[in-house]
Amino acid sequence: MSHTQVAPQNRGAVAVLVIPVLAGGLVAAALGVYGELHPPTGFAYGLAGFSGPLAMKVWLTTLAALLAIVQVISAFAIWGKIPVQGSWPGVVHRWSGRLAFLATVPVAFHCLYSVGARYDDPRVMFHSILGCVFYGVFVTKMLSLPKRGLPGWTLPVAGGLLFTLLIGLWLTSSFWFFTTIGVQF
Amino acid sequence: MSRLGPIYTLAVGVVMTAGLTVASATASPQIQETAAVPAAAGADPLATPEETPEAEEAATPDATQEPEEVAAPEQEEDPTPKKADYAGVVDQNGGLIAISIRKGKVVGYFCDGKIEAWLRGTAADNTITLEGKDTLVTAALRGGKAQGRIEWKNKSWRFSAATVKKPSGLYRATAQVRGARVVGGWIKLPNGQSVGRIMLGENSGEPAAAFDGGVQEWYGIPLTPQDPDQFIDAFLAPAS
Repeated sequence: MSHTQVAPQNRGAVAVLVIPVLAGGLVAAALGVYGELHPPTGFAYGLAGFSGPLAMKVWLTTLAALLAIVQVISAFAIWGKIPVQGSWPGVVHRWSGRLAFLATVPVAFHCLYSVGARYDDPRVMFHSILGCVFYGVFVTKMLSLPKRGLPGWTLPVAGGLLFTLLIGLWLTSSFWFFTTIGVQF
Repeated sequence: MSRLGPIYTLAVGVVMTAGLTVASATASPQIQETAAVPAAAGADPLATPEETPEAEEAATPDATQEPEEVAAPEQEEDPTPKKADYAGVVDQNGGLIAISIRKGKVVGYFCDGKIEAWLRGTAADNTITLEGKDTLVTAALRGGKAQGRIEWKNKSWRFSAATVKKPSGLYRATAQVRGARVVGGWIKLPNGQSVGRIMLGENSGEPAAAFDGGVQEWYGIPLTPQDPDQFIDAFLAPAS
């Protein structure tokens, strides 16, 4: 376990996370406030090629969730939990992560711009909260990555949180759509 | 480079968001323009050979068609039309509004493709008052027109809706899928303009495709548009 750590663990290391965590918290709060205050437009620009914005969101979220599974597996390989040769797990991890994040952007944009945060229905309430927290944790992780001297648990904890949040988002949106409407494009 | 990779990732996300914001803010309204109905009466663009809405709807066994079970007390002197359908454009907003009166009961629908409101209310002394979610409509009936004001959230627009005849006017379709209710609403104007929106549950919805009066497929769910005669009783009945 300890030989995989990129930095020796010490008390001072946690201070490195102050800025990323604060920035992430601000992003999550800002998204929540925007979702609450911005009057829903009922419409937002999205990707073409789907029969409607709901289908677009459902499938982009599904793509992101599948890539999140790739994220977990490639992270295991990076940390030596899955024996593989070469440096490609890092490359796979970075690019699957970027793709997953970019796939979520039109979805979150549509949710926040067109619909807004809602709390009157459990599914929608959990989805709203998970969505805001997801981007907060994502910003925290992205701002932590370039830093030296991170506590060894930082990236596994942030990555695990992101995976959990994204799967929660998928369950409260795409999975609901698939089980309510059916598997439709 | 690689140390800045995560920052670039965030930056690309921000740029995408900015692009989507600009595109959405400048996107055109969701009003569908189709060929205008010729001014000559009797031309019915909906009466395509394979799809005659009247016949189809009449054949549909539907509890909402029970006629006039509600005895609305009528005042002999009230000049309000017993039956009238109005539809027109909402100034500034650019959306459409449709109002239908059936024996003192009134249904209405306001939709610009993006936002919508189903409205219910009363008509008396040539005045209509309608309420819906976040929406209040008041109108005066005069010279075959309903003219008034729609208040939606903190906005307020004027409208003037002329009397229209089928196939123009208001349509509504409902369907129950596994765990949710699907409600579609459409307004069609005699000049060919139409608008519609389909809601899945309370919180999810999207602009409807161009309206042709027939069965509308939405993600594989068939939605049969009904005119106010068909849906008004079910619509006004207290939610179970």
